[in-house]
Amino acid sequence: MLMEVKNQIYAIYLSIKYAFQRELLNKFTFLSNIIFMIINNACFIIQWVILYSIKDEVGGYSFKQVLLLWGVASFTFGISRFFFKEAFNLTDTINNGKLDNYLVQPKSVLISSITSSIEVSAIGDMLYGIVMIIVFGFTLKNVLLFLLCGICGALIIVSISIIFSSLSFWFGKTEIISETVNSLMINFSVYPEGIFTGIIRVMFYTILPLGITTYLPVRIISDFKFIYLLYLIIGTIIFVLLAFFVFYRGLRKYSSTNLMNARV
Amino acid sequence: MAVITVEKLSKNFKVKIKEKGFKGSLKSLIKPKYNIVKAVKNISFSIEKGEMIAFIGPNGAGKSTSIKMMTGILFPDKGKIDILGLDPTKERKKLAYSIGCVFGQKEQLWTHLTPYDNFKFFGAIYDIPESIVEKKIEELRELFELDEFINNPVRNLSLGQRIRCEIVASLIHEPKILFLDEPTIGLDPVVKEKIRTLIKRMNKEYKTTVVLTSHDVSDIEKLCKRVIIVNKGQIVLDDTMENLKYHYLNKKIIDAKMKEKINLEDVDGITILKDKDYNLKLEVDLKKKSISDAINLLNTDKIVDINISNVPLEEIISEIYKDGDK
Repeated sequence: MLMEVKNQIYAIYLSIKYAFQRELLNKFTFLSNIIFMIINNACFIIQWVILYSIKDEVGGYSFKQVLLLWGVASFTFGISRFFFKEAFNLTDTINNGKLDNYLVQPKSVLISSITSSIEVSAIGDMLYGIVMIIVFGFTLKNVLLFLLCGICGALIIVSISIIFSSLSFWFGKTEIISETVNSLMINFSVYPEGIFTGIIRVMFYTILPLGITTYLPVRIISDFKFIYLLYLIIGTIIFVLLAFFVFYRGLRKYSSTNLMNARV
Repeated sequence: MAVITVEKLSKNFKVKIKEKGFKGSLKSLIKPKYNIVKAVKNISFSIEKGEMIAFIGPNGAGKSTSIKMMTGILFPDKGKIDILGLDPTKERKKLAYSIGCVFGQKEQLWTHLTPYDNFKFFGAIYDIPESIVEKKIEELRELFELDEFINNPVRNLSLGQRIRCEIVASLIHEPKILFLDEPTIGLDPVVKEKIRTLIKRMNKEYKTTVVLTSHDVSDIEKLCKRVIIVNKGQIVLDDTMENLKYHYLNKKIIDAKMKEKINLEDVDGITILKDKDYNLKLEVDLKKKSISDAINLLNTDKIVDINISNVPLEEIISEIYKDGDK
């Protein structure tokens, strides 16, 4: 079992390494993708600077907490897109029979398929997130918690994408559902938690768990309580297990195709 | 010893029926109708160790679906599959260590990497220590004559070179069974011949069992000793290539060049396929007439040249496909 995990991790490492090598082929595209993603994220902060010049608090967050929120959201999103890019194209992978190659290999179909390529611009998101945590407060504790929260949050984002994309096994073309869920997860996660109430807030801790991926980490870093960390870890385990369960249930319905495709 | 045993295997697909036009699209949105396509119907067969068998059929016959079930890609609806003592639906990962797959229409190599790097990646996928992978690459590099291009990115290779690399990638872990789904699709005749020679050599060297699907009759004729023909999801023929060629249709073709033009008409058992100037082409049904009957009909004194051959395999297979359609 331990050996199997070790071999799977090595296969993931190689897959990401080769995908990275491919992106490095074009130096200009590689660098511009990263730089422009940082600029893109930085532009949004301007609106918050303006807002906080007239108000001290928005939705219960100070300006520094908004910076932290942006840092957590960018970093989490960055990890999910960089390491698991194909989790966000999973409906296409399922509908176009691209799982065939992974199904004849002795590794996890789900892990092999979602780690088969990387998103370079996500490096910009990760770097931006790191800058934000430095601005918020650079301590060893903050950095470690930030990393842990980033990894857990990314695993939840990826799990949500897998769960909704797996609907394709039963209903065919369901891109619109997974795409909508994925964009809602990122769009709402950059606003202070306090501005959302009622049913929306409930949604943020259940079906669209951006409360767990971003709001909870903001609380963990700015006002550490062990129970928050426990919630985050339990939430991550639940969503990851659910993603595996739904995907592998759906895999029994996989119908493949005879469409031509290449690994590019 | 059987390495593949398939018993009463079936697979259905649910396909949405859409009436034509915009109205049809709206109708199917409100009240969708489905058709159950029986892709594979109750098929059974077994394959012995070291055999090279052709698994063929017209488009949509169910051959790819059957292969996909045998390799663990698709779940069967009914039936049992035993590949090297393993059940692909329950032991997919374990089975993957013992089988290799090449899908002519689906590339598994990373196009930006060299074949060498790809092979090393596949070695890691199959948990093979690096030193052993190196040795294996060396061995296969020689067997499949990859020297010229092993260090060029895959995207710069010709289709033939790429297919050779695809086959090598599927052999890195020394599979006991190799599934080749249309490996020569899109290749020119010279490259096709090369691939066939290499597959034959591989089968001889490693005793690998090969299951081949192809629409190219030459692939089947030159590589396989046994053929399973599927049509409409059912096995319509499972026989040796020899039996298929010489007994199934029981027909011969006579091409004759005559000294002078002779007037012939079809008789029971002898059909005139071509009668142009001094050249004649006859098809003899050996169940009804013998070759000597046909030659006597031509009048031996007037024959300048004669060639007696079997009906081309392609025609035999087409006939079997047509019979299956009836």
